[in-house]
Amino acid sequence: MRINMKQMGIHILLGLIALVLLFPILFAFVNSFKTFEEATNHIWRIIPIKPTLENYKYVFSALPFVKITWNTFIIAAIVTIFKSVTSILAAYAFVFFDFKGKRGVYFLLISTMFIPFTVTMIPNYITISQLGLNDNIMGVALPQFADALGIFLLRQSMRTIPRSLVEVAKIEKIGHARVMKDIIVPIIKPSVVSTGIIFFINSWNEYVWPVLILKSKDNYTLSLALQMFISAEGGTDFTVAMAVSVITMMVPLLMYIIFQRYIINTFALSGVK
Amino acid sequence: MKEIVFDQVCKSYDQNQVVKKLNMKIKAGERLILLGPSGCGKSTTLRMLAGLEDITSGDLYMGGRRVNDVESGDRNVSMVFQNYALYPHMSVRDNISYALKVNRFPANEIAERTSEAIKMLDLVGLEERKPKELSGGQRQRVALARAIVKRSDYFLLDEPLSNLDAQLRAHARKELVKIHEKYHQTMIYVTHDQTEAMTVGQKIALMDKGVLQAFDTPKKIYNKPANVFTARFIGSPPMNVVEAAYEDGKIFIDGKKMKVPDAWCKVIKKQNKIYFGIRPEDICLSRKGNDKDYSVKAVVRYVEDYGDKYGVYFQINGVEMLALSDGDVPTPGETVHFEPNFDKVHFFDGETQKNLGYPKEK
Repeated sequence: MRINMKQMGIHILLGLIALVLLFPILFAFVNSFKTFEEATNHIWRIIPIKPTLENYKYVFSALPFVKITWNTFIIAAIVTIFKSVTSILAAYAFVFFDFKGKRGVYFLLISTMFIPFTVTMIPNYITISQLGLNDNIMGVALPQFADALGIFLLRQSMRTIPRSLVEVAKIEKIGHARVMKDIIVPIIKPSVVSTGIIFFINSWNEYVWPVLILKSKDNYTLSLALQMFISAEGGTDFTVAMAVSVITMMVPLLMYIIFQRYIINTFALSGVK
Repeated sequence: MKEIVFDQVCKSYDQNQVVKKLNMKIKAGERLILLGPSGCGKSTTLRMLAGLEDITSGDLYMGGRRVNDVESGDRNVSMVFQNYALYPHMSVRDNISYALKVNRFPANEIAERTSEAIKMLDLVGLEERKPKELSGGQRQRVALARAIVKRSDYFLLDEPLSNLDAQLRAHARKELVKIHEKYHQTMIYVTHDQTEAMTVGQKIALMDKGVLQAFDTPKKIYNKPANVFTARFIGSPPMNVVEAAYEDGKIFIDGKKMKVPDAWCKVIKKQNKIYFGIRPEDICLSRKGNDKDYSVKAVVRYVEDYGDKYGVYFQINGVEMLALSDGDVPTPGETVHFEPNFDKVHFFDGETQKNLGYPKEK
């Protein structure tokens, strides 16, 4: 009985936290369908009196929104693909190869997770400028081709695979590329999918780095567009900003809903919750 | 010829030497058992053969070729792992045929070899199942099937039966011998189970702490163990091997005197400290004492009932031994005469622990 009471308490608490977290999403969603007038007068109303799509229409007319969404998507897709590939390769090496200094290299790599973005921002900016990738979506994607989080997560799941699976392949004269493609990746597919989604969503939501690199509106990503509508340039019409917010979060949200089981499993497996 | 030669092979991990100066010659087509307690270096030896571990020093030859630096995949070996190492996401058929496909064997040959292996190992009807849908015995057979489709020259097995229950194990042992008789590969089989070693092996290499202790046929290893370790390791229940002193045709077990036949005296010669060994089944414990010179008094401590036999633990002063008896069993506390069958005793050097040999006629 006491356990039930305790569990109920925990669930109420979790419910409250979920409500707090969900509130801004609901707020943005509801207000994006209100007229500016209605929103200012009845900001807390959950069901709009006169639902309208005007905000969305305005957003699409004011900015090349299809292009911006496409930019965001392309950057996220490129980052996801490259980061997945580099993470798989590195994790495979850390798990199945034996070399001197393996632990040291690994911990050094993992420690880069704790370096704040502001530290690497300027060196990266200089590199990208020198490469002539300023105001180019490739300039946004390039510094993200590899990172420690993906290596860490995939290494954790690869470690659950018995070494003998790789050894048997070695005896059968099957090369590492083949082993990765045919054996390792299929076995840890859920982790590969979920880390891929994490990469995608992170890239999708990224703001500071694109702001530094992208100058022309044609190259903007969604988060930059959103910022524009919130700041002076887009006006103070916050219902429009809410519409942009809804568009921005739609893709990551859908992805999360579809693949949430994979994501939770991967984090549960790696001990990061 | 597909023989294997170990020439002074050593393996160390940092400062820790796990295989020490191994010299061994395995004939082509032979079934060799690498036997020993856990941590003795037998699996490492097998893995060096497979090319999964580097050789620290010495030379390893397979089929006349030095293979120290030859990649695993170029050694023409197949291997069965203790955990079977089946690909969990592939069906039984794919597990068996995958390596052939990757190595671009013609499709008809892949199909032929795969179906032969499936039939031979009684996997018909399970071809499309995933490993997790199979029982332990079935998984073990899939691992075997995968190893035999390669038709390699060398067949390596790392404790392949240790995850099976006793009944399945007995059956699988026979199956392994059958497979070997069909393909005649040079077979190296690692186990810590001496029953497996005795029944499957044509030769046994017994290892302890990285050192080869004995290398011979199962029969010889059992009947004429090369040293104290071998004597104690092979046989169930194990041989009684006790410290003794020898002087003038007599041995002293914890101070108690017993005469030794002349033939043995020639073997033992001037030794002082020796080890005296006798298997439990070669001991007679008599109430009367048939020949008091060649026996010694002992006190029975306790008796175990094995169903068909009794195990009688007895003491000669402070030294405990075990005898097997099938009839007339003494009761605990009783004093009896310990009468070894001197045709079946063993003597070992007190220092080196090596077998001192046997009388000529034996």
